Amino acid sequence: MDCKEFLNHLDPWLAGDQRREARVHLRGCSHCRGLVEDFGALRAAARELSASDPEPPAHLWNSLRAQLEQEGLIRTGDEAGARSSWLRRLFAPIPRPALAGAYLALLIAAAFAASGPIHRRVNDYRWVQDTSTEALRAQLNTTETATVASFRDPNPVVTASLHTNLAIVDNYIALCEKSVREDPQNEIARDYLYTAYQQKADLLAQMADRGDYGR
Amino acid sequence: MPEADAIRLAQQGDAAAFERLYRLHSRRVYSLCLRMVGNTAEAEDLTQEAFLQLFRKIATFRGESAFSTWLHRLSVNVVLMRLRKKSGAETSLEEVTEPDEDSGGPRRDFGAPDLTLSGSIDRVNLQRAVEQLPPGYKAVFVLHDVQGYEHNEIAEIMNCSIGNSKSQLHKARMRLRELLHEALRQKAREERKAAGNAAGED
Repeated sequence: MDCKEFLNHLDPWLAGDQRREARVHLRGCSHCRGLVEDFGALRAAARELSASDPEPPAHLWNSLRAQLEQEGLIRTGDEAGARSSWLRRLFAPIPRPALAGAYLALLIAAAFAASGPIHRRVNDYRWVQDTSTEALRAQLNTTETATVASFRDPNPVVTASLHTNLAIVDNYIALCEKSVREDPQNEIARDYLYTAYQQKADLLAQMADRGDYGR
Repeated sequence: MPEADAIRLAQQGDAAAFERLYRLHSRRVYSLCLRMVGNTAEAEDLTQEAFLQLFRKIATFRGESAFSTWLHRLSVNVVLMRLRKKSGAETSLEEVTEPDEDSGGPRRDFGAPDLTLSGSIDRVNLQRAVEQLPPGYKAVFVLHDVQGYEHNEIAEIMNCSIGNSKSQLHKARMRLRELLHEALRQKAREERKAAGNAAGED
């Protein structure tokens, strides 16, 4: 076996097929020994990389689901039931409007911890007590204005992507608000709306993080 | 819910089935995107785009290939399209690798004989080296060595021959070896310089 033939056998060798003629070649060839050693190390390091693969962030599914709903790919009847039970499981012990408010406050306050006057408004927990969707919406609008104005990211693809996601969530919010206006007593419609606000707060917090990173 | 049932139900628009498929595969797709672009926000965007394309086309899935192979094919295409857009040109898989530099024989000019990668590759310097690979090499390396796909599956994912997949992987490994050896040499030079400076101060 020469170097070229050994090279053709390299993958099976690394996978454990260490036949005799390959072993004989390797004994007398320092070049191929170096290759085997380095490729083996590379393969082991690559597997370790795989073991440390991160989970995608939770908001990704929310954003994807919003887009699927917008495109009508998800069957809404069943989906509404599934979402309702999901929210009920998650939020069961706490009144939903208060929880949505607290969630927003937490996210936005964390994102804006060091960013000026809005911080004081966001940390004012009076608004958490206000269960009207108008208050949540007004708070989000204020936050959005400040975030978008200060947002800087060196990567235009990321900027475009965050703005697109923001537009998708805004459309979703508009649809949910319309449903709540048409049927204010509909709990499922309200669940949808609070989830949509939650998604927007999540996105704004992400933009604020990236804005700080970009500076 | 088993994957086959989730696929069937998702084809009928069932929301829980969509979520099940997402939960089953999102980690691998996200990791692939992250390894390919090296940027979390862009990886999230690409993952979302890959799943959107998947769910838009799910009604056409007939099970000729494994679902994960199909999904990875979509994902790799989404990533390569993005990278092509970024580079501003329409390119083929051959072009996102690199021109054939060797004639198939082993190169003998890698690294000093006293340097070995064994025990010296950590996650950070491997990821940094992977980021420097051309997109096509990177995709094959991530799919084979990181995610454990076989060459026949990669050939299906990348729409190329098995021989092409093997050859791309070999070139990717050779390039990584070269990059990692260079990083080792650089580190050794810096250490020598620091030692020299410390001796000069004494």
